[in-house]
Amino acid sequence: MAVDAARFSLTPSPRTRRRKLVNLLMQALATIAALAAVAVLAVVIISVARRGATALNWDFFTKTAATFGQSGGGVANALVGSLVIVAIATVMAVPVGILVALYVSEFAPPRIADFVRLVLDVLNGLPSIIIGIFVFGLLVVGSGQAAWKGSFALAIIMLPLVARATQEVLALVPTTLREGALALGASRWRTVVGVVLPTTLGGILTGTVLAVARAAGETAPLLFTTSIAANTVTWDPRQPVLSIPYDIFVLSESADPADHARAWALGFVLISFVLVTSLTARLLLVRYRKRLEG
Amino acid sequence: MRVTFQEELEQVEAALQEEGDYVLRALRAAVNALEQADAELADEVIAFDDEVDQRYFSIQEGIQSLLARQTPVAVDLRLVLAMLHANLHLERMGDYCVTIAKLTKLVSDVEPDEGLVQAFEEMGQRAEEMIRVALDSFQRRDLEAASSLVDLDELIDRANRRAVERVLDLGGDISKREWGLRMIVVSRCLERIGDHAVDIGEQTAFLITGEFREFTDASHTDGS
Amino acid sequence: MGRDPTQARRASSPPAGLERARRQSRHALHDGIASGALEADTMHAVAPIEIAQPGEARLSAANREAVFETRGLNVSYGKALAVASVDLSIYRNLVTAIIGPSGCGKSTFLRSLNRMNDLVPSARVEGEVLYHGQNIYGDGVDPVEVRRRIGMVFQKPNPFPKSIYDNVAWGLRVLGMKDDLDGRVERALTQAALWDEVKDRLKKSAFGLSGGQQQRLCLARAIAVEPDVVLLDEPASALDPIATSKIEDLMHELKNDYTLVIVTHNMQQAARVADMTAFFTLERTESGGHGVLVEYDETPKIFTQPADKRTEGYVTGRFG
Repeated sequence: MAVDAARFSLTPSPRTRRRKLVNLLMQALATIAALAAVAVLAVVIISVARRGATALNWDFFTKTAATFGQSGGGVANALVGSLVIVAIATVMAVPVGILVALYVSEFAPPRIADFVRLVLDVLNGLPSIIIGIFVFGLLVVGSGQAAWKGSFALAIIMLPLVARATQEVLALVPTTLREGALALGASRWRTVVGVVLPTTLGGILTGTVLAVARAAGETAPLLFTTSIAANTVTWDPRQPVLSIPYDIFVLSESADPADHARAWALGFVLISFVLVTSLTARLLLVRYRKRLEG
Repeated sequence: MRVTFQEELEQVEAALQEEGDYVLRALRAAVNALEQADAELADEVIAFDDEVDQRYFSIQEGIQSLLARQTPVAVDLRLVLAMLHANLHLERMGDYCVTIAKLTKLVSDVEPDEGLVQAFEEMGQRAEEMIRVALDSFQRRDLEAASSLVDLDELIDRANRRAVERVLDLGGDISKREWGLRMIVVSRCLERIGDHAVDIGEQTAFLITGEFREFTDASHTDGS
Repeated sequence: MGRDPTQARRASSPPAGLERARRQSRHALHDGIASGALEADTMHAVAPIEIAQPGEARLSAANREAVFETRGLNVSYGKALAVASVDLSIYRNLVTAIIGPSGCGKSTFLRSLNRMNDLVPSARVEGEVLYHGQNIYGDGVDPVEVRRRIGMVFQKPNPFPKSIYDNVAWGLRVLGMKDDLDGRVERALTQAALWDEVKDRLKKSAFGLSGGQQQRLCLARAIAVEPDVVLLDEPASALDPIATSKIEDLMHELKNDYTLVIVTHNMQQAARVADMTAFFTLERTESGGHGVLVEYDETPKIFTQPADKRTEGYVTGRFG
């Protein structure tokens, strides 16, 4: 009887106690790491907010920079400029990104698909300044800067992000869904447009939102393509316009401490934008997953 | 659900009932031929057995197919097994009608004994009634009616014994001796037809109760 | 002992009254046989009953048209042969079942009938698959056209993430069958025995249906576009017994209008549902194995008296 009790015993033994300890240790380490990450972000946001708080007022958002020597003014032109540049970049990048993803996922032979995927990865990793120089050499030399040329550079950066996100959601679509459509006698293209794409719209939107967040913060490509701008609010893409990240750079170089505060404030605006878009993307992804899994 | 399966079961059962009808016709004709010493009618009865046999084989195949393809269980399985047995009993009845017809032909040139002819008419009617009760009670799944077959069979058995005694009485008349012997066999055939009807009743009981046993066991006449 | 000849002679001409009675009962027998009708005093009238063996009434060589005929069909994935040298004919308006152990190439064979194997990049098809005499793998044949005529229902129900109505209507719209869309959708759902259950919620998502209902929806979707043939790849294996039974009853109805080919690993299902059954098995070779067709015959024969020992081994459950 005693022997049996030992074999089937469910109470802790020395071995289980050690195992429990190791468990606890690992859990603690993981928790600390997570807390550290959260802490870093918190510190960044808080310090940026603190330093820029003084500059956040109505004028900040509505006026352009004051003429030299005068106080006041704002960064309205940078805000509008970024809006224009990023909007155009999105319009350029998203359709192409989706089409590339469709090609890789639905139409390409396996080896070519792998190759294109590799290209996208490399593009993703290209230093943004190189992209800036490339676009400068391609479009700006001889014809001057313009907002849309900056958009073009940003689009190159956004493209792999959109394509990658689209690809991933396309891969989530079960093969059997495609088979069901094809078995009806629908063509490849009709299947993609009618059945596959509608299923992936949520994921595509998420990818787009993330790409936009990234593009909004890119500075280097805009250095050469749309930085020499007038101090007015322009909506015309053929003109070079100021962008938020570049303006942060400019303001931080200024002698005026009020400008520094504005730089921090602008940084805070940018961070908020990134935060909001990331959260939106996350929410969209959750809803999209629920929908696909029925 | 399983609509086709239900339809197939009904088809086989309908064919079984039809086989029963054919047997009834054969029996009536055989008894008539016997009473009227009609050799031609007897020939027709013999030929008619082909119809019964056709039904017999067809039902057998139908049951084999049902078992292989539909894997019936519970009451469906009991129905199929009951039909399998009933099919056999009906076919045996048909064969007995043929035997009666053949014997009729053998003695068609001899004048029949009135008393015995009466007896056979009565036995024939009893047998017919038993077949009808057996078929009806099967179709309606009527346990009481099926059980009543035992009592009806008792009547035929008694009539059989009376026939045998009558033939023995005729024993003295040499011209009738062969006829007499043949008639004993005829009587026996009619009695056996009654037994097979009881067997069909037992199948009905099995179908309803799930118990497979005889109403009365010939080897246990004390009722145990 | 011996018979008295005088007695015999006397009895050879029976009295007239008896003669008439004889004639009457003889007629009863005759008429009974000939017309099936009977005199009132005997028994209830009954007409001769045919116990139809499934497919038997339909299967006379004269009126049996072959919808498919495969000749030397080989299907390989890359270097591995999946199915070897199949010669098989599928007949019109019958249910043909493909049975056999796992891995014997049943699904591969089925999918080669509507060129679904094209979707697998490494798949290679040799030999011919004649559909009404045309090789569907021939030059110039459009696989999309092939699939218009030969539809498919899959193992796991795969409705589109759309409403119930749109699931059925999508195919119709894509194939240009837009006239009377509502009517076509209703007819398809009715044929799939689903209309009554969904007619009040056509605009709701298809995912709200149960598994069995979803599969019937997929069936409705497939037949809405009026194919010639419907292929079913283990359509009930993901369903519970009641849903399975409904699908099986449906197949009995549908074969009046379509030709059905079903792959099933449940041989009792094949026994219940199919008119013709083809048994495939796995032939082992050094490189693994491939599927071959062993026996193809009317279903009752396969399940009562199979010609090949391997077939018998499989259906009796002694192997595979």
